[in-house]
Amino acid sequence: MSLRNVGIVYRKELTDSLRDRRTLISMILVPLLLFPVLMVGLSYIAGEVIGEARRQPSRVMVLGGEDSPGVLAALRQAPGLNVLPGRPDYVDQISEKRIRAAVEIPPGFEAALEQGNQTAVKIYMYEGDLKSQTGVERLQKFFRDLSDRTLRKHFAARHLPEGLLKPINIAQKNVASPEKVWGTLFGGMISYMVILLSMTGAMYPAMDLAAGEKERGTIETILCSPVSRVHLVLGKFLMVMTASLATVALSAISLGGSFYGLGKLAVMQADKGPSLQMAISLKSIAAVLMLVLPLAVFFSSALLAISLFAKSYREAQSYLTPLTFVVIIPAVVAMLPGTELNTKLALVPILNTALVSKEIMTGTYHWKYIAMIFASSCVYGAAALFIAVKLFQREEVLFRA
Amino acid sequence: MAEPLIAVRELTKHFRAFRRREGLWGGIQDLFVRRYHTVRAVDCISFEVARGDMVGYIGPNGAGKSTTIKMLTGILVPTSGEVVSNRYVPWRQRTAYVKTIGVVFGQRTQLWWDIAAIESFKLLRRIYGVSQRDFDERMELFNQVLGIRDYLHTPVRKLSLGERMRCDLAAALLHNPPLLFLDEPTIGLDVVAKDHIRKFLRAINERYQTTVLLTTHDLDDIEELCRRIMIIDHGRLLYDGPLGLLKQKLLRTKMVKFALRDSEQAARVRALAPELARQSLELEPVDELTYRIRFDRTSVSTSALIQQILSAVEVRDLLIEDEPIEEIVKRIYAGEALGEVTA
Repeated sequence: MSLRNVGIVYRKELTDSLRDRRTLISMILVPLLLFPVLMVGLSYIAGEVIGEARRQPSRVMVLGGEDSPGVLAALRQAPGLNVLPGRPDYVDQISEKRIRAAVEIPPGFEAALEQGNQTAVKIYMYEGDLKSQTGVERLQKFFRDLSDRTLRKHFAARHLPEGLLKPINIAQKNVASPEKVWGTLFGGMISYMVILLSMTGAMYPAMDLAAGEKERGTIETILCSPVSRVHLVLGKFLMVMTASLATVALSAISLGGSFYGLGKLAVMQADKGPSLQMAISLKSIAAVLMLVLPLAVFFSSALLAISLFAKSYREAQSYLTPLTFVVIIPAVVAMLPGTELNTKLALVPILNTALVSKEIMTGTYHWKYIAMIFASSCVYGAAALFIAVKLFQREEVLFRA
Repeated sequence: MAEPLIAVRELTKHFRAFRRREGLWGGIQDLFVRRYHTVRAVDCISFEVARGDMVGYIGPNGAGKSTTIKMLTGILVPTSGEVVSNRYVPWRQRTAYVKTIGVVFGQRTQLWWDIAAIESFKLLRRIYGVSQRDFDERMELFNQVLGIRDYLHTPVRKLSLGERMRCDLAAALLHNPPLLFLDEPTIGLDVVAKDHIRKFLRAINERYQTTVLLTTHDLDDIEELCRRIMIIDHGRLLYDGPLGLLKQKLLRTKMVKFALRDSEQAARVRALAPELARQSLELEPVDELTYRIRFDRTSVSTSALIQQILSAVEVRDLLIEDEPIEEIVKRIYAGEALGEVTA
């Protein structure tokens, strides 16, 4: 009988939410579209911008070098460079982005190369500007090649073996599995997103189902129904949690889709070199979702309790919005490199789940911590739910003047 | 009298309210030290309601009407006092009790906002455990009296206030409760909708002997529906008795309105004015040929006044009116008439 009532309330709230456009947007549309748009879109735009910078020749200015005609001629024919004659206002020209960089060739440059003396060139650039950076890279490549050629010429003239140019070749080989590499790179971010989304997904329904009900004045009408207050609050809680988990699940799907799309995009942009393919096991996903479950209970009940305390939707909003930062901070801390799980941190709510999810994403399973974190999260979740249920029975809270 | 359906004894509800200080400095002080005071929303009221009664519960804003209803429906727990309603103590046996009552809050709806009203009815049928046969039968009756069938499948938010109120009433009565609480059921409705609601309430009262307690600001509701009226202000019950008795005891001012036969009479009426003034009566012109005199029926005899008018002027038409009930209630709120009622 009692569970039946909780079910009725839950079904009512669910039907109601599914008819509400705002809930649909925050629960389904945003998580489904956010990641693809954000990740695929942004990297596509970034790729386009970088590609354009690479395709365009860089306008660079040569200062001096009148006594080095060979170098100047070679520079003019170098790929990707559009060499302009030097002018005294080169600094302004760079600042105004009319040219991307300028290179200063000292007097007697070619002669110094010829004689085997060390010499130097100075490159002027606009720090932080992508196109200036590309110009500089092209100039650097030119002078590195020139330096190489000069070296080889001198070695050949002295009949020295070429091996001396680079006596040691350093090679490195990755032993970490693709899953570990991928997990280390993206695991922190993914667990951060999952945790944040399990909260934001619960936020809107929590506000609507408690403070919204108060604001509309319908709290009186539902309190007149023959459903006990405990069942009412449990039904509402289940709905909030459904929204939270739905947001997480849909985000996981869309995140997976986005990485897949990114992989495809990387293959398309062949000049990027070998791309990092998404490598994540179903086991990791299942484990993270398991750990998020008690956290979703915690968020749903805590948000519901706070929203229940608020008199109006707006008041609930002003309590819950700063709360987002309370969740973001531990999630960000967990993302920082070097933060590692220990017994104490395993008891800090939110942070513990973020840290352990990061590890799970890399394929590492510390069962002791996982058990501790699951248990402590369950305790926090149960405590928050208990508070929400108790608050719903207090007249001063329901009818706060 | 048989066992009353509702018995209220010394019912009291106090709230602790936060008293704000004035101005900016006051606002800052309030952040640190809050001052509270006790609001006596309902202060020691007692009454009984018999089965089948229709009782009007009136009072100005903030008088304590809604608080009383909320205690009677088990939403609020009183500070002290006793209530036995339908053999239940509302706040202790709330879930069992509310199955025997229907509640309508005029300005809020218990129907789902974005969904067709029929969905809400189906949900309520499950919550209250009403059998499909009873459900169909009652829906048929509601449709006959309230004419709700046409918009049962329209989302509630698209219904007019009158249509929504009819649906809300039907929803509150779906489980055929013997007791119905209505908090401002006709607020904001047009004349036709009000009339519909009143007819419906009379019909269910006659057919099912449903006991109705309704709060209202509209005294026409009371005049058309209730034999008994309770007046509350500042949490205290000022009057509890038949509406007729209230009128009889408190009806002080009467009004004579008369239309003159022709304009010749107008000059003669004006000549009457000084004599009326000596009796502290004022002659008020309504239009060129119509005049009005208000008088206190305790000090001036109606027949003497009429004789005086008829002997002075030739009258085409004459009308004697009672003071509107609103005026009486206003005087009760103002504290003037309290002694007269309770005496």
